[in-house]
Amino acid sequence: MRGERRWTRRNVALLVVGVILGLGTIFPLVWMVVGAFKTAAEVNSSSLIPSEITFDNFRYVFTQVPFLRYMLNSLFVAGLVTVLALWFHSMAAYALARLRFPGRETVFLLIFSTLLVSLPVILIPTFVVIRTLGLVDSYAGLVIPAIFNAFGIFLLRQFYISLPGELEEAALVDGAGYWRIYRSIILPLSRPIMAALAVFFFLANWNSFVWPLTITSNPDLRVVQVGIATFQQQYVSDWNYVLAAATVAALPTLLMFFFFQKQIVESIKTAGFK
Amino acid sequence: MSTSTPVLARTAGRTQRSAHLAQQAKRERRAAWLFLLPDSLGLLVFVGLPMVLAIALGFFRVDGFGNIDFIGGANYVRMVGDPQFWSSVRITLIYLVTLVPLLFAVGLALALLVQQKFPFVGAVRSALFVPYAISLVVVAMVWQFMLGDRVGIVNQVLSWFGVEGTSFLGQPSLALATLVFVTLWFQMGYYMVIFLAGLQDIPGEYYEAARIDGAGAWQRFRAITFPLLRPTSFFVLITSTVAVITGGLDLVFIMTKGGPAGATSLLIYYIYEQAFLFGELGYAAAIGSTLIAVLLIWSGLMFLVTKGGRFDDGR
Amino acid sequence: MAEGLSRRRLLQAGTLAAAGLGAGALAGCAPSGASRTTLQLWSAYAPAPQQDPNIVAQSDWFLDRLAAWNAANDRQIEAVYIPNYADPTNTRIATAFASGTGPDIFLISPGDFLRYYNGGALVDLAPYMTQEAIDDYFPQALATRRDGDGIYGLPMEQEPLAVFYNIPAFEEAGLSEGDIPTTWEDLLELGRRLTGGQQAGMVFETTPGYYQNFTFYPWIWQGGGDVIDAETQVPDFTSDAAVAALELFGEGVRSGASPRTLPANGDVVGAFTNGYAAMWQSGIWQVEAMRQNAPDHPYGVFPLPAPAGGEPTTVLGGWAWCVNSKGSDPEAAARFTVEVMGSMSAESINAGADWNGRFKGNIPARQSVLDAIGDDDIFADPILQKFRDEIYPTGRGEPRYPPVIYKAVSNALQAVQLAGADAAQQAEQAQRAIESYLETYDGGDLL
Repeated sequence: MRGERRWTRRNVALLVVGVILGLGTIFPLVWMVVGAFKTAAEVNSSSLIPSEITFDNFRYVFTQVPFLRYMLNSLFVAGLVTVLALWFHSMAAYALARLRFPGRETVFLLIFSTLLVSLPVILIPTFVVIRTLGLVDSYAGLVIPAIFNAFGIFLLRQFYISLPGELEEAALVDGAGYWRIYRSIILPLSRPIMAALAVFFFLANWNSFVWPLTITSNPDLRVVQVGIATFQQQYVSDWNYVLAAATVAALPTLLMFFFFQKQIVESIKTAGFK
Repeated sequence: MSTSTPVLARTAGRTQRSAHLAQQAKRERRAAWLFLLPDSLGLLVFVGLPMVLAIALGFFRVDGFGNIDFIGGANYVRMVGDPQFWSSVRITLIYLVTLVPLLFAVGLALALLVQQKFPFVGAVRSALFVPYAISLVVVAMVWQFMLGDRVGIVNQVLSWFGVEGTSFLGQPSLALATLVFVTLWFQMGYYMVIFLAGLQDIPGEYYEAARIDGAGAWQRFRAITFPLLRPTSFFVLITSTVAVITGGLDLVFIMTKGGPAGATSLLIYYIYEQAFLFGELGYAAAIGSTLIAVLLIWSGLMFLVTKGGRFDDGR
Repeated sequence: MAEGLSRRRLLQAGTLAAAGLGAGALAGCAPSGASRTTLQLWSAYAPAPQQDPNIVAQSDWFLDRLAAWNAANDRQIEAVYIPNYADPTNTRIATAFASGTGPDIFLISPGDFLRYYNGGALVDLAPYMTQEAIDDYFPQALATRRDGDGIYGLPMEQEPLAVFYNIPAFEEAGLSEGDIPTTWEDLLELGRRLTGGQQAGMVFETTPGYYQNFTFYPWIWQGGGDVIDAETQVPDFTSDAAVAALELFGEGVRSGASPRTLPANGDVVGAFTNGYAAMWQSGIWQVEAMRQNAPDHPYGVFPLPAPAGGEPTTVLGGWAWCVNSKGSDPEAAARFTVEVMGSMSAESINAGADWNGRFKGNIPARQSVLDAIGDDDIFADPILQKFRDEIYPTGRGEPRYPPVIYKAVSNALQAVQLAGADAAQQAEQAQRAIESYLETYDGGDLL
């Protein structure tokens, strides 16, 4: 267990199990990437190694449509949503977890109950609200409604409750305001859980499809998941292009995960979801 | 609820002190509301208001072209007598009772595996989580691609073992199971990570002590791991239930369109179909409101059981 | 990148949000289109984001029509490209109409027609047309867009269905043109024979949806049956012809002649070139798809075989231009639509000929356009000529049934085809559902 003997029989057994499960899990993604390098004639075939490796699909994706623009849009929208959501949620969670005020339980219960509302059920009313505010076909329309989500508040509150009570007492005695306590005590302590939540929020927003499709038609605002849909024409779907676009769209999140996997998992672990 | 309690007034007799305390409490109250303002306003406008609108819509006949008639509870009466609705409820329940325990068990098992120290454990952990980083649109397309009859890679592999003619997405008896499998594949890593976080919180000395007492692996799991994981378990059960009921739409949407022969017509897909394919916005809103109400009752119960959403066993 | 969302904009939005809270709840569902000054034309064609030459040509066709109009009129019209437009569950379109911000001019397929028409969303274009232009349209192309004398949509094309067959697959099985099936029994027999390995024999549509129903209707009609009798408006789904058509789809899967899901995820070109399918019921658009993507691959088409004693019949799909009655300026939108699609001017006829004869490869909806194309451009292709001369004349317009009727038929079809249910019993069940719906139905004729 101490790491001095890495290749024990037990470790090898664990490694074999782990590798089998891991390979089985990523196989569909490998398949997607392989398909993206196949020619149109071969894309539906089942050979793991393409008989002819082509980069045309990727060239098509980037030269035939402004895919880079779509990706920048996604990056901007998902990034901004993540930052604003973390900011607002940590403020709300701080109040719910560590400040006393009448009606606190009721407010929390109300917020918690919105966790159960899913988009298809309220899509049209939400659109009506957004239209009333004049936000159809704007970045604001993509960003603002995506910020508010009880999940993050809920998790942050759980985390703040578990922090020791003495934390802000000294600061309060020193006459520090609540904003300063939030800024200089609570926020720094939240770093691990914020990092973990940032990953979840970013993934969710990078991957969202129905809302951007519903709220925008201006091509300058098109995000990457909607962009993929433009490769599927009315009756014919060119799978080689679709797979290439899907690969490109998945790449940022995959790269992010591969490079930061240790930090991400560590921060999720330290965050102690409960 | 034992949260931060600013210094208690021991000397309550002194009026100045209590005036100061009252002042302090007022300040705290005001700060709390200010902190809550952005999120509660946002939730109110972008979730609460649409939800109220959706509930209201459930009492109207809405055709999607601006024509609205108040019809009282007729949508609800129709729902009760709609065999498709009940069929969707049944399918959703089957989906739920297979998927939630599976996500729980597989997520926990994987967490226990990658919690061990063995060579390349980091890479294995990444591989298991990675499907969660892909959009559902892509997930659905890739699996549809792989599960194709005859030609798909899965069927090719099966044919090496003499199993032929399986249609994972075309046989009513298999399609839902296939969806369960794909959902499990793409979500298990997420729950694995959540469980990993929970396992992290269990003090290592407990295991040392149990080992000294001669407890086997299974005994240690039963006596220590499982009970001490209860907070995490509750969290996983609640979030996966909600995710399973309200999610799943994209998969059905791309892979099966509710088919074959209605076998994968989940309730959430039926709502979607009524609203956007049939333009029955009022009826869709009525079903949606019912779904929300059921979920509210369910989570209310969970809320009570877990003592106000703090899943830590009353610690 | 940040120009779209400055902090001030955010603050402004927040204030607006607060104000919006008080605003009337359902007010948003009432029509309020009159705010846009530039009219919008929504489609899956223009302006296309892709640079593919064929897609660009189709896109430019639309943009040229708009440019001509915009140069001559004060009321400007712009094209808006909607991804996934052809998907009937596209949330963009449904949401826009539901909140009173639908497009001024838009394209719909017959399957969606009655929903829009019964909702009062469509403008009658007949007053803007000359009698000569109305008579120029083929009656079956216009029938499902009419109510009485009113014309609520102008079809830009007609798309007949046939069976496409993969010549290499036939040759491999030692078959030739002489073996092309002419009866249902032959079709299934051949489908069974050609099924094996990675190859599916005879592909019928399997995914539930408007499109599957569309491919299913002609098999009912061939035996003289119908879902709803057009004359009497009484459901007729329990007729022998309808039950037999259900049986055909069921027997196809049961006997192994037909697959349970579409090979190559529905891509006919890919399925043919890779040898995944031998025969496939599909539409005229595949001719152009083959020409674009696999110009050298040999294939053929034959008319949908008829049952013993039946009449060869096919179905005609195709999109029509419609004008939103709740748009900003329905009058201008209607004049534009008629000018492009339904006038006897040389421009209109040539535009139709370009669309159908050069860019799309469809049967035109108007006699004058058909004459203008002749055997030129892509209609030099013998397969398109076969579609035009042999298959199209047996066509009938795609039915415009409302969603409840679509769903009843779809449920029966899916249950028989994929769950092995009894055809007569499913037909009976669908018939009852349609009957009870029609008791309170109040809208356009069910054709």
